[in-house]
Amino acid sequence: MSAPQHSAIIISLLSNAIKAGTILLFPTIGEIFAERVGILNLGVEGMMLIGAFFGFIVTHITNNPYIGFAAGVAAGGIAALIHAFISITLRGNQIVSGLALTIFGAGFTTFYGQRWINMNLNTSFQSFPFPILSKIPVIGSILFNQDIIVYLSYILAVLMWFILYKTMIGINIRAVGENAKASNAMGINVYKVRYIWTFFGGLMAGAGGAYLTIGYAPFWLDGITAGRGWIAIALVIFAMWDPLKAVFGAYLFGSINALQFQLQAAGTTIPSAILNMLPYLVTFIAIVASSIIVKAKHIRPPKELGIPYSREEK
Amino acid sequence: MLYFEKRDTISARIKIIIPLISILIGILFGALAIVVVGINPYEVYKSLFINAFGSWYAFSETLVASTPLLLITAGLVLVFKMGIWNIGAYGQYIMGAIFSSYFAIFMPPDISKFMMLSLMFFGGALGGAIWAAIPAALKVFWEVNEVITTLLMNYIALYILKFFMYGPWKNPTSYGFPLSKPFPASAQLPVLFNHTRVNLGLFFAVAAIIAIWFIISKTKFGYEVKVIGNNPITAKYAGISVGKNIIIAMIISGALAGIAGMVQVSGIIHFLQVKINANYGYTSIIVAWISYLNPVLCFISSILFGGLESGGYSIQISMRVSYGIVGLIESIALFSIVGSQIFLNYKLRWKK
Repeated sequence: MSAPQHSAIIISLLSNAIKAGTILLFPTIGEIFAERVGILNLGVEGMMLIGAFFGFIVTHITNNPYIGFAAGVAAGGIAALIHAFISITLRGNQIVSGLALTIFGAGFTTFYGQRWINMNLNTSFQSFPFPILSKIPVIGSILFNQDIIVYLSYILAVLMWFILYKTMIGINIRAVGENAKASNAMGINVYKVRYIWTFFGGLMAGAGGAYLTIGYAPFWLDGITAGRGWIAIALVIFAMWDPLKAVFGAYLFGSINALQFQLQAAGTTIPSAILNMLPYLVTFIAIVASSIIVKAKHIRPPKELGIPYSREEK
Repeated sequence: MLYFEKRDTISARIKIIIPLISILIGILFGALAIVVVGINPYEVYKSLFINAFGSWYAFSETLVASTPLLLITAGLVLVFKMGIWNIGAYGQYIMGAIFSSYFAIFMPPDISKFMMLSLMFFGGALGGAIWAAIPAALKVFWEVNEVITTLLMNYIALYILKFFMYGPWKNPTSYGFPLSKPFPASAQLPVLFNHTRVNLGLFFAVAAIIAIWFIISKTKFGYEVKVIGNNPITAKYAGISVGKNIIIAMIISGALAGIAGMVQVSGIIHFLQVKINANYGYTSIIVAWISYLNPVLCFISSILFGGLESGGYSIQISMRVSYGIVGLIESIALFSIVGSQIFLNYKLRWKK
């Protein structure tokens, strides 16, 4: 094989890695904000499934991937409101409520997805070279020859980082997750802030799920997210609750996905079970390593993560 | 506006009513979901009930599903009481099934039944225990969040099972299906009642929940578990070795899930395959929670949810209603129970 062919393969591998990473980037950013306001939502896998499902069927019906994507995003947000109501208003246990949401998402999509199994989409997001930037050698063809949803995710990561660290909204978000009682005293409506960002987390999980079925694997399968929601939750720790660092985590795991796919397509002798295990195994190792680093650097999760807030009790 | 007012005492009546209403809400929303696809929910539920409790055979199948649920739940009660979130029963169950199957597949089949089943039993317990000890040790030594590690290990266990089933343990005469060779008679748990699949595993399950009840309410270890669950910092000041207790409780919990996996392959399936109903690992979390981690209520709930699982499986075949309905009902019941915990300690009041 000649050198240009090699580089073409690597460019297409990395370009796919960005796509696979985008599926994880949205939910990771969403969960970062939910956790930043103190709400642990373990329902990401369920919300992604719901987003993937509605994204798929609405695209199938309307034949318009953008309407489908919007439907998936909205569906994820609505699913998150169940968790928000239970953990914010009813002050229920967030771990159990989140697990319930994951079981709900799986049950819901299995139940209604039955007749869509193995159906395909005829339409997807169109890739287009981003003006000027796509002309950069190598990087241009990897990062800037993508579809609009990927470009959207770039903007989102930077924008959310800016909001979190450079604006008043971000200060309030961090205050609520660190000390809800003091935030309330400062005049912040704790319930409202928690509802908004838990909802945002759901929208983003829905976006990740919808991008999976519309932009990455345009067919419907039972449990199509295959644990990506859990990987996204792990990436939150890996990213140390920072939206910009989430980008690196998401693309790293996107690369593993893409590599796995490429190896399988190339007819490798590595058993497929081992290849399919890789993302979980690597996430496991990464989570252990980053937990040790987090501990050593005295970085910690938002102080009141998972703790319900009640205005009546002083 | 509506607001919550703290109760002085927890009402025992409400404590019993809440889980019942939660299950009812689950059933009602389930009915709504069924109506949407144009099927009569009354017919579905009637068929589900008859297939779960309508005859001795149907009930025996419910007991078959209740057995692994009760085994896993027994272990979860112990760790959940401690505030340790073992979400990894799914993977521990799979590892138990793999470890015990090793003996069934590779031991000379003519060793005594007692010997074979003992090896499988302890192998299963060991497999589950190892899979739980890893996240427990990571939590104790490096504060690695156990929710995420146990969950990721579920997927790793699943792919280890797939690796064996599509690779070295695949039966060459299974026409390409990912199945192991069938277990010899010596590797099959004895059936308790003729013409049913209820086996010795049910005895293990009942023994396990009694043992867990005893440990929690009658031993020093159980007392320490409860203290840690209330407040790990206080426990530390009281001189309790929190880390050691976490590891022991996780090992017990993992071992019980592993035994559940052993019971399923040795008592029910009689070979190893990819689909060994590992989802019992997740359902058991619901069983434990809906029972307030109370062993007596766990016993009742495991039969109830065993019925839902077994009845749900039957209606999938007889009425073509997707098995997803079971997950829907279970998750909504779980939402209701978590959401209504607040009513144990608070009253809903109206203020202008």
